[in-house]
Amino acid sequence: MRSRPSVLIMLLMVAALVLSACAPSAAPSVAPAADSAAAPAAGDGPIELRIAWWGSQNRHDRTIAVIEQFEQLYPNIDVVFEFAGWADYWTLMSTQAAGGNLPDVMQQDYARLEEWVSRGLLAPLDDYVADGTFDFSNVSESSLAGGRLGGKLYGVNLGTNSMMIVIDADKLAEAGMEIPNPDWTFSEFEQVATELHEKLGIYGFSGALSNEQLWKNVYLSLGQWVYSEDGTALGYEDDQPFIDYLNMVKRLQDAGVTQTREQELATGGGSVETDLIVTGRSAMTFLWSNQIVALANAAGEGRNFILLPMPRPEGGASANYLKPSMFFSITSQARHPKEAAMFIDFFTNNIEANETLMAERGVPISSEVRTALEPMLDVSQKQMFDYIASIESSVSPIPPPDVAGHADVINNVYWPLAIDPFLFGQISVEEAMRIFRAEANAVLAETAR
Amino acid sequence: MSEALSAPAQAPSASHKGRPVRRRKASFRHDNLMGYLFISPWLIAFFAFTFIPIIASFLLAFTNYDVLNPSWGWVGLQNFERMFTRDPRYIKALQATFFYAFMAIPLRLIFALAIAMLLNTNRRMVSGYRAAYYAPSIVGGSVAIAVMWREIFGRDGLVNAILGADIAWLGNPNTAIWTLIILAVWQFGSPMLIFLAGLKQIPREFYEAAAIDGANGWQQFWRITLPLLTPIIFFNLVMQLISGFMVFTQAFIITGGAPLDTTLFYALYLYQRAFVSLQMGYASAMAWVLLAIIAIMTALVFRSSSYWVFYGSQEE
Repeated sequence: MRSRPSVLIMLLMVAALVLSACAPSAAPSVAPAADSAAAPAAGDGPIELRIAWWGSQNRHDRTIAVIEQFEQLYPNIDVVFEFAGWADYWTLMSTQAAGGNLPDVMQQDYARLEEWVSRGLLAPLDDYVADGTFDFSNVSESSLAGGRLGGKLYGVNLGTNSMMIVIDADKLAEAGMEIPNPDWTFSEFEQVATELHEKLGIYGFSGALSNEQLWKNVYLSLGQWVYSEDGTALGYEDDQPFIDYLNMVKRLQDAGVTQTREQELATGGGSVETDLIVTGRSAMTFLWSNQIVALANAAGEGRNFILLPMPRPEGGASANYLKPSMFFSITSQARHPKEAAMFIDFFTNNIEANETLMAERGVPISSEVRTALEPMLDVSQKQMFDYIASIESSVSPIPPPDVAGHADVINNVYWPLAIDPFLFGQISVEEAMRIFRAEANAVLAETAR
Repeated sequence: MSEALSAPAQAPSASHKGRPVRRRKASFRHDNLMGYLFISPWLIAFFAFTFIPIIASFLLAFTNYDVLNPSWGWVGLQNFERMFTRDPRYIKALQATFFYAFMAIPLRLIFALAIAMLLNTNRRMVSGYRAAYYAPSIVGGSVAIAVMWREIFGRDGLVNAILGADIAWLGNPNTAIWTLIILAVWQFGSPMLIFLAGLKQIPREFYEAAAIDGANGWQQFWRITLPLLTPIIFFNLVMQLISGFMVFTQAFIITGGAPLDTTLFYALYLYQRAFVSLQMGYASAMAWVLLAIIAIMTALVFRSSSYWVFYGSQEE
């Protein structure tokens, strides 16, 4: 009988093979490697300030240049920095948080701010506002509001953003159509998209209309919010507005005005540069306002774009709000919070620093900085500034940051259990919303526990 | 430590054969120590990066550890219970993984065997072909090939260009997983090499004798090649089974689990839970269930082997 011992050996072999492959996922140990890679030679200054951010190469170059300016101004401070792409950044920061060695200053996102604050990882900044380290005399309260939680300031807004519809002006003229009213509703939007598609034979619209941002917009416009205040359940009772919206999305897909969900997945990407509007295969799309710069770059010379606010449900208020594109926050594990605050203030108010940054993170919050930058802007940057200025007075108030279970709800419920089964025709929209409500509430309740 | 070990070993040997034996045993242990010292870099790395993480993941499987939250603790078997009762995506991940394994593995082995038989000749340039056909399995698991695959099957990709069609291969729930299976079959190189070695082991006389008896190529394949190759098939099957259930890179880059979770392979879902949702406890529990699944599947193959694997030396 040779089978018994060999089965045992085989099981051991399998265990070694499988578990050694799974091991990295069980115990991430990214931090040391990233630390050593990020630091450019420790100087002999008495203070070492650590800063981390996510972004593209463009942002890294500009930010590093500003850090050098800061170091020249304060020779006793040596700034050590680390940066990464969006997804890696959060893995890196989570690992450092677990290890208790977060940097002094970290870039934060509106969607994660509450989670990080609720876990005690960020320090309130109000003391440094009171003692004058931060100078917010040229900053409106509405631009700071996004960084406030429970009355305390946890993040300084690095630029203001809002969503927008981008229309290819030449396609609109080719179809002989008027620029839509900025207060347009979804039914007007549907008409415009359909007409563009029928007259030009291209997609009327190329953004992913089923994106969760639109779900949020619908309820924001109706004066509600998608999550309840304590984050343990959905915050609205009536599924009908979103059902109406999803029915419109399905109509547009079925009519070929937009890509079907199937085609969206096959086209993939999701980056500005791969949007079909770049190659003229679509007449409209939606973007965050700072992305117009990247879109204009990708589309090349001689293209004209019109920026409009997001459409709203019938009878709703503005579906737009001013979103802080990202924050700088001081972590609770910071060793030099005072110097960290000085750096953030430099980033916010120093004209020279902002001439280097050139609003890459969105429209700056300081009015003085905005005025100084005005003459230096190129066409698309100017459009972005003008767009934000044009909606500033009419936008809806900023909704609360996403609750702790948000990512889980979107990744494990919204797409796989509700939106995709509906758009692939497996279930009705009513069924999709019923499942979504039940499963999302279960996830939210569990996360809050 | 060496004293504690030598004491019991010494007792029986001393009573039988006396001193010389003991000295030999001692120097043998000394040699062992040297050996361990030589492989200590590997041993240290093994304990630091494999053994300890394995233990840690086993313990984490019974917790709700999520990296950021300081107040985590034991949850008993909750993670395992949730997997099978309250996580519809987990069931989809199982379905996708089993479908992939049961399609891709047999197809890859059949393909590998077919090519191996073609290359098992004495034609000119045959070694060049062998290298050429092995190349895909070296690069096939790479990120670059996965990105290329995305382009080939994309809406503006090569396949649609050739067919003159606009088919969303990667977006259609019926076709998306097949693009991954085709990629897997294309990486037939390593089982092919092993098959080739196996084919060369089969004595030529068997074929000559069969030819004299009037057996055609087809009969020779079924009566000689396949039976004598069963140990090799068995080995390949086990290896492919293990790697097949752990497939990750291709789905991660090409489809991301979409559409409708039809390509949400187990390892991909595990990754998403661990590093997107940061539910390390739940992900660790999933890893251990995967181990159990692979162990069971492999054990089944081993059990079945007595019915179909033929070792030349065995008398039936």
